[in-house]
Amino acid sequence: MSEKIKLCDLSKCTGCRGCQLACKQWNQLPAKQTVNYGTYQNPPDLQPNTWNVIRFQEISENGAVDWLFRHDACMHCTDAACVKVCPSGALYHTKYGTVALDSAKCIGCKECVFACPFEVPRYDPETDKVIKCDMCYSRIDNAMQPACVKACPTGALRFGDKKEMLQIAYARAKELGGDASVYGDTFVDGTHMIYVLPRKAAVYDRLPEKPRVPFSVIAWKDWLKPLSLLAAGGVVGGAFLHYIIHGPKDTSGGGDQASREGGE
Amino acid sequence: MKKGMIKVSDSFERIVHWCMAISCIILMISGLGMMFHSFNFIAIPVGGLKNLKLIHNFTGLVFIPSLLFAILIWWKEAGIFRFPEDLEWIKVAGGYLWHVDKVPETGKYNPGQKAFFWAVAFFGVVMIVTGLIMWFPLGFPVKLVRWMYTLHALGFFVIFSFFFVHLYLGTVGVPGSVSAILTGWVTRSWAEKQCPKWLKEMEESGKLEVSE
Repeated sequence: MSEKIKLCDLSKCTGCRGCQLACKQWNQLPAKQTVNYGTYQNPPDLQPNTWNVIRFQEISENGAVDWLFRHDACMHCTDAACVKVCPSGALYHTKYGTVALDSAKCIGCKECVFACPFEVPRYDPETDKVIKCDMCYSRIDNAMQPACVKACPTGALRFGDKKEMLQIAYARAKELGGDASVYGDTFVDGTHMIYVLPRKAAVYDRLPEKPRVPFSVIAWKDWLKPLSLLAAGGVVGGAFLHYIIHGPKDTSGGGDQASREGGE
Repeated sequence: MKKGMIKVSDSFERIVHWCMAISCIILMISGLGMMFHSFNFIAIPVGGLKNLKLIHNFTGLVFIPSLLFAILIWWKEAGIFRFPEDLEWIKVAGGYLWHVDKVPETGKYNPGQKAFFWAVAFFGVVMIVTGLIMWFPLGFPVKLVRWMYTLHALGFFVIFSFFFVHLYLGTVGVPGSVSAILTGWVTRSWAEKQCPKWLKEMEESGKLEVSE
């Protein structure tokens, strides 16, 4: 099965939030009351009941104001830190390369919350589980588009085979020119959500410029984990060799009866 | 009990030791079950990983006071290296690795045991601090929490290895040791070999307890 990619061309996004709503509808995630704090961005961040959110951001340049919209959701990394740290196997890679979540297996340890370089997974205290976008695994596995893509009226969101989507992305970035770039295919072994960014990545709020699996996760999972078993195995083996080669310590001897015959 | 046995540990020491030992073993086994997918089966008898997590976390609450008491009880005898005698012992590895005619005499604990004390005391505290933050991570800075898991794994690496050294040298490696922490009584010859200086000091001060 070929890898699939969700392409998000920010130059075509109008901030309508159709994707946000479609996600809630398909995944049955009723909204909760929020407070207006002076922006269209609502809710303010990803939440257990909001798996994608449009980030609204105003920037001013040379006296002009620009309004940026960014569809923020799980990036579905190939080298996914969340999958790497998940102790129960609740987070896993699908045959499409996306990262899905088997909620029944989640034990609410929150390790993925802190491993993700994009800070995507959210902990839900009501269910004591972590939740995130699974790129509508139930839909894509039935040859449908993710709900967000289906709802997008402008074509900012597209879904398809990796090769085709990358071609479209690079052609679009070239067409836009200037600072436009493709974001996602060159780090964490390639993400399965790819952006076409009209501006430099650094401009966008909460978008890491060079995301990677945190070094702490690599030291923990790739080095210390195998080392801990190797070291303990070495000690057990070494103790056995010590016993048969050097022999145990001689604690016998002495004049009294107990020492001669052993204690008790 | 036979005559002439020597008392090397009081009941409080033995209680603290076993509270720490049992909680530590439960923590290591339950931790392994969550650390490696291939050990996930450890969770089957307790009904799943979520229960294993709860067992791990609450056993940690037993480990905390055990470790604190252990440090309080033993830091004077096992926490302070005394030079030059400890250095002399280290140079010949206490006679544990090759033949040594005359092993330098040590007090109640030899430098190897002191190293074990420090490994457990230092990394035990690391495990407690990192473990508590891992239990309640929300609200702490992301970059801080990320390193807690790594340090917790580092502590496991050290304590898990030292555990087997301790287990070997406390049982078959040094015969006659187990009773020191089970009943508190050891043979005189054991004490002469394991803590000669301490034995002399206790006899000179008249504090040594010998069974009649």
